[in-house]
Amino acid sequence: MPITIIAFGQIAEITGKEFTVEAQDVTSLKLALNAKFPALAEKKYAIAVNKKLVTHSVALTENDTVALMPPYSGG
Amino acid sequence: MENHNNRYARHYSLKGFGYEGQQKLAQAKVLVIGAGGLGCPVLQYLTAAGVGTIGLADDDVVSISNLQRQVVYSTEDVGRAKATVAAVKLQQLNPDITINSFKMAVTTVNALGLIADYDIVIDCTDNFAARYLINDACYLLNKPLIFASVYRYEGQVAVFNVAAADGTKTNYRNLFATPPDPLEVADCNDAGVLGVLPGIIGIMQATEAIKLLTGTGEVLSNKLLTFSILNYDSFIIDITADEQVNSLIPKDENAFKLTDYNWLCGTAITGIEDMDAAVFLKKINLPNTVVIDVREPQELPKAGFTNSNIPLSSLSGKISEIEADNIILFCQSGKRSLKAAQLLMEKFGTSKKISHLQGGITALQEYTNE
Repeated sequence: MPITIIAFGQIAEITGKEFTVEAQDVTSLKLALNAKFPALAEKKYAIAVNKKLVTHSVALTENDTVALMPPYSGG
Repeated sequence: MENHNNRYARHYSLKGFGYEGQQKLAQAKVLVIGAGGLGCPVLQYLTAAGVGTIGLADDDVVSISNLQRQVVYSTEDVGRAKATVAAVKLQQLNPDITINSFKMAVTTVNALGLIADYDIVIDCTDNFAARYLINDACYLLNKPLIFASVYRYEGQVAVFNVAAADGTKTNYRNLFATPPDPLEVADCNDAGVLGVLPGIIGIMQATEAIKLLTGTGEVLSNKLLTFSILNYDSFIIDITADEQVNSLIPKDENAFKLTDYNWLCGTAITGIEDMDAAVFLKKINLPNTVVIDVREPQELPKAGFTNSNIPLSSLSGKISEIEADNIILFCQSGKRSLKAAQLLMEKFGTSKKISHLQGGITALQEYTNE
């Protein structure tokens, strides 16, 4: 099912700010992202599902929004 | 002493803040680490607001390229220590508060002692080694930490080690358990930053500090705010506590002191010499030495000394062409040159002396302009 992705910072520079990807859970989402954007595989980013940080794979349902948030270092 | 009723009059008359809020600020001790793009507005607003004791730690000097966003400093301050200049200017802004100025980098040796004296720490640094070091130190001391960082047109803000309504606390490692590869994330020197961005994000940090100290509103505990200045979008996510992640933090003071955060963050590698600008300029003309620019050919500024250009992107295929025994690498900020040095180490081991210019040509320029 299509999942809405919102990307930030350097990740958005690779993927674009907002797009959709087909996935059932966070693991399959990552695989789909890496296949679509090979440069992402090397990148570090936090994942938030519906504005909640997830550190393990969780199931995704239609209309879920997933944010990809890389660390920033500037100050 | 002046009449405080005048200086803080707008706080006193502010509903929900008043004399009580001002008293809380006057009694507070806040440590600001880094007096750069984020640190300048944080320091100015907390000084103006009347925070009773402000510690500021920074080991850098003012350079001309800082002035586009680091608004505490003037053109005449170029070359002077930020900690010294900032302390003088802040004291002029508000002579009634105590300013403790520390002209030094925060390290594993001094961090815990320094932080222990304060109620709140504000991380205004610009690199991951410092950010993980400060995060871990604040976690060990259970000290509230107001974090922010910026990238191009976006900023992140969070408040760590402060219990949310459910009693749980989180820290930076809950977001990013381990540091990224240094090449992966560009800093302001590499990526550029619109000068107003750290101003806005720094003021958000100062706001969180004032709210936390006075119990005003809701602070971003267990939350990460991402703010874009392109469209003013705010995106707030909930950070969930995860005890497993905390096991990555040194378990006690001794373990913390033995941790090498530069190594952990890939910004120092055993066997590769980090040269500062002065040493670099002395060594580039020695015999049997090759100086290699690992930037792409079109990158500016051009170096004002003899060098060969082998971009990092094509280095692995050209390693065997390098004959000199002393190899000195440089790039824009020192990140790619370190990565290149690592590639050369894998090939040559200790058979050649491999060094790189720390801080890159940016640091070299600042050194020669002083």
